[in-house]
Amino acid sequence: MYSLHLSAEQLEIRDTVREFVTHEVRPVMLKADRLDACDRTLPLALLDKISQLGLRTLTLAEEDGGAGADQLTACIVTEELAAGDADIAATLAETSRLAKIVFGRGMTKPQRDRLLPLFAGNERCQLAFARHEADADDRLGANYHRPLAPGNDIKTTAVRSGNEWIVNGVKDCVANAPLAGLFAAAVKVPGRHGTSIIAVPADAPGVSIRAHDHAWRHGTCGEVSFKDCRVPADNLLSEEAAGLLDSDQTSGHGSALMQAVALGVGRAAYEAALDYAKLRVQGGRPIAEHQAIGTKLAEIAVKLEVVRGAVWQAAWAADHPDAYADRSLADLPLQTIAQVFTAQAMLEAAKDSAEIFGAMGVMRDMPMQKYVHDARVCLHSGDSSREAKLRIAEALTGYRRTAPAAVAAE
Amino acid sequence: MDFALSNEQRDWQMTARKFADEDIRPISLARDAIPTAPETFDWEIVKKGSKLGFRTLAVPKEFGGHGTDFVTQALVMTELARADSAISKTFSQNWKWSHLISHACTEEQKARFLKPFVEDDTFLLGKGISEPSAGSDNRLPPADDPKAGLKLRAERQGNEWILNGEKCFIANAPVGKLFFIDARTDPAAPLKQGTTMFLVPRDTPGFRIGKVFNKSGWRFYQNGEMIFENARVPHANVVGEVNGGARKAGGGGDDTTGGDIFGDLELCANALGICDDASQTALRYARTTKQGGRYLFEQQIVQLQINKMHMLTEALRSFVLRVAWEHDMKVRSPNAGLAMNYSTDVVQEVTELYMDVRGSDGCAMDHHADKLVRDSIIWSHLAGDTVQRMKVARRLPS
Repeated sequence: MYSLHLSAEQLEIRDTVREFVTHEVRPVMLKADRLDACDRTLPLALLDKISQLGLRTLTLAEEDGGAGADQLTACIVTEELAAGDADIAATLAETSRLAKIVFGRGMTKPQRDRLLPLFAGNERCQLAFARHEADADDRLGANYHRPLAPGNDIKTTAVRSGNEWIVNGVKDCVANAPLAGLFAAAVKVPGRHGTSIIAVPADAPGVSIRAHDHAWRHGTCGEVSFKDCRVPADNLLSEEAAGLLDSDQTSGHGSALMQAVALGVGRAAYEAALDYAKLRVQGGRPIAEHQAIGTKLAEIAVKLEVVRGAVWQAAWAADHPDAYADRSLADLPLQTIAQVFTAQAMLEAAKDSAEIFGAMGVMRDMPMQKYVHDARVCLHSGDSSREAKLRIAEALTGYRRTAPAAVAAE
Repeated sequence: MDFALSNEQRDWQMTARKFADEDIRPISLARDAIPTAPETFDWEIVKKGSKLGFRTLAVPKEFGGHGTDFVTQALVMTELARADSAISKTFSQNWKWSHLISHACTEEQKARFLKPFVEDDTFLLGKGISEPSAGSDNRLPPADDPKAGLKLRAERQGNEWILNGEKCFIANAPVGKLFFIDARTDPAAPLKQGTTMFLVPRDTPGFRIGKVFNKSGWRFYQNGEMIFENARVPHANVVGEVNGGARKAGGGGDDTTGGDIFGDLELCANALGICDDASQTALRYARTTKQGGRYLFEQQIVQLQINKMHMLTEALRSFVLRVAWEHDMKVRSPNAGLAMNYSTDVVQEVTELYMDVRGSDGCAMDHHADKLVRDSIIWSHLAGDTVQRMKVARRLPS
């Protein structure tokens, strides 16, 4: 049944997070060292408080000690956090996204009993997906409607040795790497088809992490090297988890949490602009009362509402995959669709909001330039809109990509 | 119709291109990356450019300047901005106010101020209009609120004026040696009837520079606060007549001071330089960078993006040079304002496209693309973009 009513729990968690952001995140975020886009350090003390609130384990099942939040609830929380600080929101979004898959469908009971305490029992443990490798280029681009060029397979390997896997390889641009206590590492297992995922604790022997400074990403990211890294044989996750993790951000049906980050950034910019436009007097009246500014505020509000609708729909669809089967939802990559619209609309919203502040909108010790920068990072990091549109187009025509290995075998 | 440049225009263009390529471009990104605002500035590049004539390009020849026409000025601003928009603006800001000196000052004032300006390679000019509570109100004074607008007070005491108040967001304030300052001389009268313009040298007693603003774009181009605490300015430094305000300065025509006519051309010519840089770099990048085993340029989307960048850039070039030519022909039209508004749209669209063509490489963004996008955002934050558009609409002939 179509309903936009949030549950009592969802409303409560939204209010709680909003209040926390107002009283705890904003005062920290509005300090000059957080506003300067060129030199930011993540406030770890805030992450600790957020962890104590239970937001780090938001999507973990209740029986595992989490809040059991669905994708929609996680999007609502992420928007609220991002309205305070995009880096904090992105850090938790990545952990939430991964926790749901890794500890949800990814593990057998014995695996969970052994690995869950590493995450649930350590307040500072974030999760990271170590997939990308520096020399691999798996962008669609030139391969639109064509099989991917061979040679872009994952090169990191996991080789069985007795009761252990020995992992070797280097991963790059891994979100959350500097804060991660546990990695889901994408590896090739000789003799196995496709990508396998192995859980690797950050303190396993042979793991080294190098943080990227000034990365064009929200949150933190870094390089992760595995050198003869040994983990127990039972750390191999299920094939289902491997498939879900690998396709989460490309299938069109995965988590829309990064879109919720962009939405939160746009909303923060809008709220600041609205407050200022009601206070600032020029032309004999508050500038909000001038048509030119009023219309700008209206356009920003339109974009925010349409974006929230698209993000919530994508999240709800991820929570209710049966809604495709019963024809409630069109068979479309709703998350990718939300991504393309959100990234562009929120950059426009942030730019328009900043413009309302005149010269103050570009000053590095004031918030508006940060919102513009943060919105632009959302548009141009990870998977670009150019790339995402190609994936939507392939979905529209029903194109199914054959794996490079299969092509080579033909 | 004749689009050919004269030999002199071509010579200036080539000199500017050489200076931009050999001296400006090599320092551009490093200066942009310096975190604190005052340190981004580099006197060496100012002195070098000054010796080549780029500080005094617009000063008439009889005062020792180069007396170039507007077409030449547009060409030079574009060439310098192609290497660094903020450095180009640091030079052309002096042309703007040297235009004003030549148009609005007395012979005595010209001898007193233009001569040292021409002779000193580190002599930069600025003008203070905006104040914390008066930005758009100075551009479009509201008819129903005569007290709106700048508040900096100037009161006559014998042969001197005593200035009290502050200005903010003033270009070249931290590095300038001479400033035009708009001050309220009749607080009861509306802005245009109660304002007087003063020439205020840097070493005026009671006048100091406050905060230096740290901007996200145009970082080299210095911007600061001005504080007047019983600053004493001789009556001989009044520009035009007391309570003559901006009207008098331009020597005829409402809202078309020498500064304004040049200012619109300046912004669109500078934007054109950024567009040239972005579209040419994007093309080179797409032709030399491979993705998925093939050059980026082979992708249809990339071709369409690069087409759009060049299409907008060439349309802007036509508009910029037409406006410059109209100024030289003394054709009065709202085209300069329209071109400036158009350049705001174009420079932002072209630089966003450039960033998209480059894309993020792993988890890094190219510094050059990031800088051009940040520089181009400044156009929406100068002098009130929306206000400028409405002002131009009101200038259109009925």
